[in-house]
Amino acid sequence: MTRDEFLWELEQLLKDLPEIERQDILMDYKEHFYNALESGKDDEEIIRSLGSPKVIAKELKANYHIHRAQTQASVRSVGRAIIATLSLGLFNLLLVAGPAIGIVAVLLGLYATTLALLAAPFGLLVGYLWTDHGFELLDVVFPMMAIGGLGVMMAVGMIYLTRWVGRLFVSYLRFNLKMIRG
Amino acid sequence: MNVQFKKGVLEMCVLVLTAKKDRYGYELVNKISEKFLIAEGTVYPLLRRLTQEGYFSTYLAESTEGPPRKYYRLTARGREYMNQLVAEWSTFSTGVDQIILEGISDDQR
Repeated sequence: MTRDEFLWELEQLLKDLPEIERQDILMDYKEHFYNALESGKDDEEIIRSLGSPKVIAKELKANYHIHRAQTQASVRSVGRAIIATLSLGLFNLLLVAGPAIGIVAVLLGLYATTLALLAAPFGLLVGYLWTDHGFELLDVVFPMMAIGGLGVMMAVGMIYLTRWVGRLFVSYLRFNLKMIRG
Repeated sequence: MNVQFKKGVLEMCVLVLTAKKDRYGYELVNKISEKFLIAEGTVYPLLRRLTQEGYFSTYLAESTEGPPRKYYRLTARGREYMNQLVAEWSTFSTGVDQIILEGISDDQR
């Protein structure tokens, strides 16, 4: 591999990073090549001590996506941060994918409960209108309000909980990245 | 060298190396690889992360020959973090050294 091939490969691997970031990174490595050549090393030697562009790119991408997820947490940015961290190694599959799947499962369960609580009042109403039961309307209205109110509160709570869990998990990814760095 | 040993130590090394004076990337990489074997390419992602976290600030300075160099300067936050890491490291390495000493002297008795 030559210097240009190394830089080209690194550039290709960093395709999903913004142009400015990518160019800044490439500048760092160009500077490195320049200085190393100055001190009398040759291309081959420099590339061997730099290590694989793949390893370098994975690390850079994980850093980038975790930082992004921290500054603007969204389902998408947190998801990308998780994928970037996963790609760092098989070992991480257990440390990151395990907790991620667990957390998503719990959140989905709570969302299902919220939906059920929001839908239940309509169920009660339909039940009241379509069947012959002998209840007064008010007997149904109060449970409807109680359950519906609970549903609304839970929906609001879920929005906060999801954000908070997202942030917490990104912190965990950062910690994880530090621990596995060789 | 055992990869497990290097975790976290590399981070501390680059912080300590910039404590007395600002340094450019190649200088840092070179200083460290003089002492132990590293994948030199991974120092740059580390420097980027530490800069992002506010432990370093960077500036470009012309060199006498060739393109300008990116210099890393330790910030106040970075210094604080470095001191914390160094303190933890001292406790840790003293403990490990004692265990080694005791273990090996027992062995030879």
